[in-house]
Amino acid sequence: MANREGMVRKTDATERLTHWILAGSFLFALFTGLGMMFHHWSIIPTILGGYYAVKWMHIFSGVVFGISLIAVIIMWWVDAGKFVEGDGKWILQAGGYLWDVKDMPPSGKFNAGQKIFFWFVVVFGILLVITGLIMISVLSFPVVVARWAYMLHAMSVFVLASFLMVHIYLGTIGNPGTLQAMLYGWVSREWAQFHCPRWLEEHDRKGQAAQEAIEE
Amino acid sequence: MTEYIKLIDTTKCTGCRACQVACKQWNGLPAETTSFTGSYQNPPDLSYNTWTLIRFDEIDVDGNIKWLMRHDACMHCDWPACIKACPSPGALVKTPEGAVVHNPKYCIGCKACIIACPFDIPRYSLAEDKIAKCTLCYDRITDEEKPACVTVCPTGCLDFGPKDEMIEKAKARAEDVGGYIYPNNPKYETHVLYVLPWGVDMKAYSHLNPDPKMPATVLWWKNLFKPFTLLGMGGVAGLAALHYLIKGPHEVEEKPSKGGDTDGE
Repeated sequence: MANREGMVRKTDATERLTHWILAGSFLFALFTGLGMMFHHWSIIPTILGGYYAVKWMHIFSGVVFGISLIAVIIMWWVDAGKFVEGDGKWILQAGGYLWDVKDMPPSGKFNAGQKIFFWFVVVFGILLVITGLIMISVLSFPVVVARWAYMLHAMSVFVLASFLMVHIYLGTIGNPGTLQAMLYGWVSREWAQFHCPRWLEEHDRKGQAAQEAIEE
Repeated sequence: MTEYIKLIDTTKCTGCRACQVACKQWNGLPAETTSFTGSYQNPPDLSYNTWTLIRFDEIDVDGNIKWLMRHDACMHCDWPACIKACPSPGALVKTPEGAVVHNPKYCIGCKACIIACPFDIPRYSLAEDKIAKCTLCYDRITDEEKPACVTVCPTGCLDFGPKDEMIEKAKARAEDVGGYIYPNNPKYETHVLYVLPWGVDMKAYSHLNPDPKMPATVLWWKNLFKPFTLLGMGGVAGLAALHYLIKGPHEVEEKPSKGGDTDGE
């Protein structure tokens, strides 16, 4: 097994692949959706082969999004879905992003901000998928349900696409050394000690136990 | 450009359905095979190939059966909910004459117009994956002709002319027969008007929306969340850029080293 000096593996290949299928399908659905929503952006349907093609691309990417969403929920339910002691304090201190904070509560694999994002993705992602499925077969539903579906679909996009911008910023230039956790999985020990010390502690303990098991 | 109105005086309708036949003939729409289901309404509903229909309703007036007959077709809204909902430019167009016309070439079959329409008019064909509806015979009225249904109506129930003229006529007729004009929402005008007879509850007419208006959900969708999506994405991206410029990235704390600038405070 590959070892890297001073590095720890934050994510495995399954996590990264699932994350990027979810992210890619959402971005593509967002792109095609905005292309249909804003008539001034007819350049999007033009380069993709017209509005009719875009309709089916949007539906297809939405289905991929729905399936990968279920996978992500199962995969990260324990690490990201459950708030633990210290998360409340993390939120009250805005994660140390807005003012200088000396005593940040130690985070696990995901910090409280990431957990909030996870829950937004879960709630509004499921809402997107359900309303999207209604829209595919919209004439099978009472007209009131159908109208609410279109409205809630648009509302969910507004919420998720806005939060996505925070996610992209904090996952890239906002936190140097973070993006690689989702690219090839390895982060520096200093990074892990700073961002998720509880996870690093547990990671080392498991590693040590495995090492001892091999030696015995 | 003159704006037109189609006036439907239901007090003169005899249910002959010449309008239905003329509509099919002019627009080249095939007939449908139907069977008797207890009503003279035939075909049973508007469809992809039936753009206008006489709706038959039976009501009880002092122990006697009274027939209500109503010519039903697109109302050609002044502020059409279908166009507001439509994602494909050119698939539904409002013309200067007031007609709301669908163009099959650009329709992508998403059905948003169907759920947005306050009158439940557009109809979908799975085979074509498109919608169709009455066009107010746009290909006739731009050539100084009246719509096909109006041309053939033998009783004068259907009339067609410049907007102001038809509104005056509708008012006069409503007064004559002691009836009222439908729809009557100054915030949601249409290029089709009805004169309905007095003494008949509007609810007795099947498929007649007593309060036609732009659905609130469509407004929330298109006037609120649509611009909010861009404002939200752009606003948050802008705030992130400000955070980066003012506060800087969240660097991993390393052990203090010699030299370098300190945060000047």
